Amino acid sequence: MTEPGAMTQRLRETCRRLLEEGKVQVVIGWGGAGRLASPTQAESPAPLSFPTQAEPHAPLSGTPAPRPVFITRAEDAEKLEWNDRCFANLTVYLTRKEVKALGKAAVVVKGCDERSLVVLEKESQIERGSLHAIGMVCEGVGTPREAKCAGCEVRVPRFADETIGEAEGAAASATAVASRLDGLMAKSPAERWAFWTAEFARCVKCYACRQVCPLCYCERCIADKNRPVAIETSASARGNFAWHITRAFHLAARCIGCGECSRACPAGIPLGLLNQSLAQATEEDFGYRPGMDPKAEPVFGNWSPADKEDFIR
Amino acid sequence: MARIGVFTCWCGENIARTVDVEKVAAAVGELPGVRCSLNYKYMCSEPGQALIAEKIASEGLDAVVVASCSPHMHLRTFRKTAASAGVNPYRVEMANIREHCSWVHHDRDTATQKATDLIRMSVAKVLWDEPLEPIRVPVTRRALVVGGGVAGIQAALDIADAGYEVVLVEREPSIGGKMAGLSETFPTLDCSQCILTPRMVEVGQHPRIKLYTYSEVEQVEGYIGNFTITIRKKARYVDIKSCTGCGDCWNCCPIKRNPSEFDYGLGMRPAIYMPFPQAVPARPVIDKETCTRIKKGKGCGLCEKKCLTKSIHFDDQDALVTEQVGAVVVSTGFKLYSIGKEQEDGKTSGYGEYGYGKYKDVVTSLQFERLLSASGPTGGRVVRPSDGKEPKNVVFISCVGSRDDAKGLPYCSKICCMYTAKHAMLYKHKVHDGQAHVFYMDIRAGGKNYEEFVRRAIEQDGARYYRGRVSRIYEENGKLIVRGADTLAGAPVTVEADLVVLAAAMVPAPGVRDLARKLNVGYDEYGFLLESHPKLRPVETSAAGVFICGACQAPKDIPESVAQASAAASKALIMFGHAELTREPEVARIDEKNCAACFACIRTCPYHAIDRADVLTPRGVFVKRTARVNPGLCMGCGTCVAVCPSKSADLAGFTEQEIYAEVEALV
Amino acid sequence: MTAQFEPKIVAYVCNWCTYLGADLAGTNRLEYPPNVRILRLPCTGRIDFNLIVKAFEMGADAVLVSGCHPGDCHYTAGNYHARRRWMLFRRLLDTLGIETERVHFAWISAAEGKKWQQVIGEITEKTRQMGPYAAYQELSEAAK
Repeated sequence: MTEPGAMTQRLRETCRRLLEEGKVQVVIGWGGAGRLASPTQAESPAPLSFPTQAEPHAPLSGTPAPRPVFITRAEDAEKLEWNDRCFANLTVYLTRKEVKALGKAAVVVKGCDERSLVVLEKESQIERGSLHAIGMVCEGVGTPREAKCAGCEVRVPRFADETIGEAEGAAASATAVASRLDGLMAKSPAERWAFWTAEFARCVKCYACRQVCPLCYCERCIADKNRPVAIETSASARGNFAWHITRAFHLAARCIGCGECSRACPAGIPLGLLNQSLAQATEEDFGYRPGMDPKAEPVFGNWSPADKEDFIR
Repeated sequence: MARIGVFTCWCGENIARTVDVEKVAAAVGELPGVRCSLNYKYMCSEPGQALIAEKIASEGLDAVVVASCSPHMHLRTFRKTAASAGVNPYRVEMANIREHCSWVHHDRDTATQKATDLIRMSVAKVLWDEPLEPIRVPVTRRALVVGGGVAGIQAALDIADAGYEVVLVEREPSIGGKMAGLSETFPTLDCSQCILTPRMVEVGQHPRIKLYTYSEVEQVEGYIGNFTITIRKKARYVDIKSCTGCGDCWNCCPIKRNPSEFDYGLGMRPAIYMPFPQAVPARPVIDKETCTRIKKGKGCGLCEKKCLTKSIHFDDQDALVTEQVGAVVVSTGFKLYSIGKEQEDGKTSGYGEYGYGKYKDVVTSLQFERLLSASGPTGGRVVRPSDGKEPKNVVFISCVGSRDDAKGLPYCSKICCMYTAKHAMLYKHKVHDGQAHVFYMDIRAGGKNYEEFVRRAIEQDGARYYRGRVSRIYEENGKLIVRGADTLAGAPVTVEADLVVLAAAMVPAPGVRDLARKLNVGYDEYGFLLESHPKLRPVETSAAGVFICGACQAPKDIPESVAQASAAASKALIMFGHAELTREPEVARIDEKNCAACFACIRTCPYHAIDRADVLTPRGVFVKRTARVNPGLCMGCGTCVAVCPSKSADLAGFTEQEIYAEVEALV
Repeated sequence: MTAQFEPKIVAYVCNWCTYLGADLAGTNRLEYPPNVRILRLPCTGRIDFNLIVKAFEMGADAVLVSGCHPGDCHYTAGNYHARRRWMLFRRLLDTLGIETERVHFAWISAAEGKKWQQVIGEITEKTRQMGPYAAYQELSEAAK
């Protein structure tokens, strides 16, 4: 197995090469701007702690994970890092005007992030041919591993223009991915309602979930529309439900499960559960998993005579 | 602030008996934006409408709500009233307090409350209703007719005679379709070609019909009133302008024996051939699959040498041409179900047990027509294809493929009962000592003089009719043994036949699904093209400006095909009656500034009315991509609005703002 | 004396089938409870999921969405897209603990006046028994 340190080196070399040869104008990767000076420190600093339902106001502590960096000069390639705390899904930047203005981009992706590329291309947001994807073979992120890493099928990115790392070894821990969702669905609807009411009570409408999601690329989000007000912007119970229902459903059959929304939420709301439940339904009803097969037809925009209607009178 | 007038109707007693209209009118008069609120006995009457017009003038109204019957009854009426009085007709709403209130509820209090609520919702909506102008689309007053059978010919002649140009595209080397190959037609026993060929000649000579034979529609772009059609002219290898049709070429062709398409394989034709003597255009075509010179690139070339007008060109290529038209009429006709073989769509193959393809003397109805036809391969003599002898016992089997769920075609092919009776009669007229045996399930003879025609076959020409099906056919001592049932007699029947004729089901012509997709016309599971409404709009389709007629829509006979063709032509002529088309403006539009160009709308639109487009500065500098609705094509369903995540798409007449206002007024 | 609870039912219907079906119920004088308020839309394809949420926010106790039968959509395919949307939306509502028994879907054609009467009767009665949608209405109270 290739050590993260060695992969970081390869990544930096790749970045340097791409920039020097003028193949790309910007490399979007993870890194630290000076604060994480040495690779060893970057390998396993104490992870950042998040507020929980039990302790919603617990103070933050620990060292931030490597964050997104935009390398435009070959000499800055040193800033790039690769370790098991490269959480961020960098594909979110590909649809930003400011990033597009930098020129042709290379983006560093884990296998899970790469699924966004498939969806973004299907939705005409990127041209795969004008993008250079650098895939990183990944053993999982987070300590303990993120829930999404259990049973990961895409440890080796499938569509990258070049891949760093060798594929071998077992998948990350075998904890069932859906366990928290199963637990939730085992409750009664009234209990579920109480759960979400309590969770959404902490939502302050910061929209971090939207900002960090690669598939929330609308420049003028429906939440920003006030003629009419479809979704109240206030952080009221009603408005919070409206927002999260809308965002979850706008991602129906599109969300690739990177989990960034849950991770980004400063209030620790388990938003990913909503997306997961829709992903499950999408797979059950349509056999469709967003971002897995570039040739698969999207769920919405198509229809089949076999679509269920047992719930329709 | 809006100046809304609310007019509550009594509808005589229909509303007023249950709803306290005066109380309602008083209540809604207090709503924000309402300048005046009246009630009157009959709003739709002349005095009622005059009242609305008068109030519009005196109160300076800019929007109208009429609380009365269903908008399906009178929305058009009140729109006209408003428009004549100077209020934009799309700032008119109707609250349905009759069909949805006074007629279905009997408690006065709750009905009155509901009426008030419904009006309040309409007032909230009309506040936001945008004034809309009808959309004007220019019309190219030329038509395309696809398919040159009797239906296509009729449609083309009707449109051309009305004074407009028609482009007629026919896949075969000659127009005429299936009817050109028939012997005589029911119920008149007219000689088919005698009544058809004059029409064919008219088409060929018509100054306003541009005929493309041996050609197919390659591509369709555009929309109603403005189609750009790309036509592929297949290589004929003969210049039909210089050719005189003298026949020297096909008479000298050494490749003489190819199964004739026109005779459905019963006769032979050379590699260079005239489709049939009365073909229009009366010019030959070279079958590139069997011509030595074309296949090998060298050799033979006898016809070229013989041709005095130098009309043979072995280097001919397919050519693409474009035509601009405003309307399209599809009349691609039918073919017969492939008996005993796999169907194109892979459904169950059927009737192998009838021996079609195995025994030479089991033929289809269309093949039998060629035997009957005076210009057919046997000169009109009914003989067995196997040995050329006259058959003394001919069995006709109805419903081969039709009305059979197991074979995948549950429908009735409509014409077979009639032509089977005709076949029995014509056979008897030619073979006086012959006996016709008909196996049938039911007799469908619903047209004018049809029932009488069938009776003649039985009573005058002695055809024997057995009500039952045939289980199998096999050969024994040179005869075809037909094992069937006579359910009326309650006994099995065996006939030793010399010839068997199968009335195979009618299915749409091959390739029709591809054409339908190009035109954005729907089709059912059998490939029959879909009409807008089976009763009230039988020749229109979901694609604006595209009309259908003839057997491509459903099995039908010649009189119906001709009638439908004229109907389709009239629809095109309605379009051509004006230089511009006016369309209802309740169509979708996209706010291009906000559109994220994800194109979910394009994928969903049932009419392909949305395209990708570029937003440019006035100087032509690229700004961004966007989706853009073609208001000429949009039918106003609003599905694009529901799927748009940023809600850049909106639907005039049912905008987000209008609907949300209506919902919020529910409280 | 406590007044009987009268549920508020909102029906989003398509103009060409269900609206005409409701008209037919009227023409045939088929009586049904007066609790329903109809919103007319061109097609079920137009009915965004947000409208269902909005209806609850505005105090509806039950919502009905109804349109043409599959294959009969006036606009050929709008109801097919709607159907897919509803298939997944119900799952989201369920995950959130929103009472899916208060969200109803139906195919009611222009000829089915009787069906309209039956469906509205059933929904009204069922909602009356379920009581007001207190949970969603409490959200709205919190918003005030």
